[in-house]
Order: sequence, then structure tokens, then C-alpha cells
Amino acid sequence: MAEIVLQAQRISKFFGDRPVLNAITFAVSAGEAAVVVGRNGVGKSTLIKTLCGLTRPSAGRLLLFGREPTDLAGVQFRRIGVLLHQTLLYPNLSARENLEFYSEIFGIEQPAAHARRWLGQVGLERAAEEPVSALSRGMEQRLAIARAMLADPDLILLDEPFAALDADGAALVAALIRQALARDAAVVFTAHAPLEIAGVELGLFKLESTGLTPFDEGRRGALRSLLRRL
Amino acid sequence: MLEGFGPILRKDLRLELRSGESTVALVSLSVLILVVMVLAFGPGGARRAEIAAGALWIALIFAGTLGAAQALLAERESGCIRGLLLSPVEPATIYAAKLTVSMIFMAEAGFAVLIMLVLFFNLEFGGGLLRLVPIFALGMLGLAALCTLLATVSGRVRAGAMLLPVLVVPLFTPALIAGSKASAAVLAGQPLGAVTTWLKLLFAFDVLFVTAGYLLFEHVILED
Repeated sequence: MAEIVLQAQRISKFFGDRPVLNAITFAVSAGEAAVVVGRNGVGKSTLIKTLCGLTRPSAGRLLLFGREPTDLAGVQFRRIGVLLHQTLLYPNLSARENLEFYSEIFGIEQPAAHARRWLGQVGLERAAEEPVSALSRGMEQRLAIARAMLADPDLILLDEPFAALDADGAALVAALIRQALARDAAVVFTAHAPLEIAGVELGLFKLESTGLTPFDEGRRGALRSLLRRL
Repeated sequence: MLEGFGPILRKDLRLELRSGESTVALVSLSVLILVVMVLAFGPGGARRAEIAAGALWIALIFAGTLGAAQALLAERESGCIRGLLLSPVEPATIYAAKLTVSMIFMAEAGFAVLIMLVLFFNLEFGGGLLRLVPIFALGMLGLAALCTLLATVSGRVRAGAMLLPVLVVPLFTPALIAGSKASAAVLAGQPLGAVTTWLKLLFAFDVLFVTAGYLLFEHVILED
């Protein structure tokens, strides 16, 4: 039986008195992928930040690899790759220097070679020495995805990974998600509209102010014409 | 135990070498404070050592606050602190790296201030200045520890950089008194042995705030 990598049990999040997440119950096992769809401002980014342990839920319980995030030893964060709305890249460092730095702090051997390999994977070899501040938004997004995935994490949480990407970029991210699933990683990502990735069985969830609900097969069938295919 | 310390330190120094923002701001502010002090009190007179020591510590406290704020607030503003928190690096190691960066920035400003101090107050390059080094080092460590911890707290609110000195100065007062008294004594020609009480106070302050920062950083850096 596949390991349950992420388990959210009735997680709620409030900013002051304002509820953002409402009793979210959700689980993802190794080798599974799920997409959380919701309109702008519904709390998708907050959900990702909460699921990765960056912000504490106001109520409910979150388990990552069977443990609460506060009980995870630092080294276990190597198993989690996160893409947030902010790219988490240093604007005054080059694309190569950013990936080398993150490879070093993730304890990856031969960080320079690893960074070069990832630059190749996301098609940024030519921009390797460009400072991040000089990259286009799409190139920055590719680099941010490389940063999130460079340690081959077992749990990948991506906040709108297809945002700002052209068709080639979107296909590249879809391919990286397929590769991650092939090595049994669990992938959760958000999107503002439903989508499908060819060859990937995606769990489709809708985030609303009332909570997170799965799309049942009937609704999914009705949505078929709206789905963006990658 | 300190895995990730070296890469974070190297990255911060590389960014500083590239932009020079902190160095220029710290050195300019320190020298400006010193000039104002010299114009206000005059460089000569019987109380030269006390005024020089006072000027030195006022420059240190403001430059130090700015330096620590730069090291941490810039990371927070760019959002990159989240990248560090989502890495296997222990929060205490991030604190240690940021503290070291702050110390380095402060040492740069301190060096510039010392040179200006010698020129403005007609001090001699000699034993008195050398005896100032341990006092200054202890003061910088305590201030860097305090500023790094409080910059983490103040960074959570708007205009946190402006709030930082308001939080730092009252808490740093015991070390400020000890540092300026000890500095005035050695600049007046007394040996370090004559200021051991002040040095012990500075050391105790360092132990208290380095330990507090090391233990508390993890709890204050995480988002609500």
C-alpha cells in the first residue's frame, strides 16, 4: 500500500476574524497527483503555504509523512519541494548561482553540476549567467520550478505552476510532473481553471469558501469541454 | 549541526559585494554621526576620551541596527526567507548565519568609524586603540544578536525597519553603558584589567542574547 504522504484533517485558517480555509480534509499518497482549482482569492496560495508547513493552521491537523510539520527534522524538508507565488529566487544572483545555492543548502552533492543539469532540464542553459532580475516572468517561473524540484522531493506542492508559461513551458512542467509521479512522488498543485495532463490520473478538487470538494465523475464529465489539456 | 551555514554566509557576502548597499549605507551613516558629534562637542578638551567613546558607540548602535535590518529584512522582503525555511537548514543555523553577516557588516562600519575617530579626535594609533578591539567585538556581538532577533520580530509588521531602533535601543542600554564606559577608560590610557567589570557585563549580555536568539528564532520566524 502506498505511503500517505500528506494528510490534512479539517484544516482551517483564519486571518484575524476572516476565514480563508474552511475544514479542509484531504490526503495524497505516494505516486498520486491532485489539482486544486479555485477562483482568484479563494485561498489556493494559503492552502499550499499551510500544506507545506510554512504557516500554521488555525485549526485542524496536518501530517506530512505521518508527522506534524513541527516534528519534522530539518533534513526531512529535503523531501518536500514547494513552488509559491513568490519565486523564492534572489534577483541579484544569476540563474546558475540561485540553483547552486539551493543545491548546496539541500545538501546535494556536486551542486554546480546539479544546477547545470537542472538549467538544461528547464531550457535555461543560455540564460544561466543572467541575473534573475533580468529574466522574463516565464523564464523566472521555469527557474522557480527547477528550484522546487531539484532535490527530487517525495512531496511536491506547486502554487499555479502553469502561470506565466507559454505552451512549451507548460508542456515542460507537465513532463516534470509526469517524471516525478513515475518515481512515486506525490504532487499537489493549484490552478484557476480545471486542467488535465496527458497520461496522468489527476484527482480534481474545487476550493471554495465552504471547503474543498472533489469533482465527482458526473461533474467531471460535464467539465470535459472546459478542461485545458497539457 | 551548522549545515547550510557556509552557503548562506557566502551568498549574503556575494550579494553585498555585488551591490555594496549595506556597506555604503553603514559607513556613510557612521561617519555622519561621528561628524555631527565632533561638530557638537569639539574634538579637543579634557573629556576627549569620553566624547570619542560616546561617538563610537552611538555610531555603532545606529549602524548596527541598520546592518542587521539589511541582512534579514531584505531576505524577508524578497520572500527568499521562505526558501530557507522550506530547506533542510535548521532555523538556528539561519540565525547563526544572519548573525555572522550582521557582525561582518558592523565590523566594516566599526573599522571606518575607528579610523575617523583617530583623525577627528587626534587619537594615537597605539595601545589604546588595540585595547578597544575586544570591547568593540563584545559590543558588536551583543548588538548583532539582539538586532537579528528583533529584526525577525519587527519584520512581521509594516515599517518594521523603522520600528527596529525603537525596540533595540532600550534593550541594548546596559551593554551601551558598559561599552562606552570601558571604551572611555581605555582611550584615556587605562589597561584592560581596569575595565574587567564592564567586559564581564558585555560578555553576559552576549551570552544572554545569542542564546535567546538561537533558541527563539525558530518560533518568531515562522508565519502565523
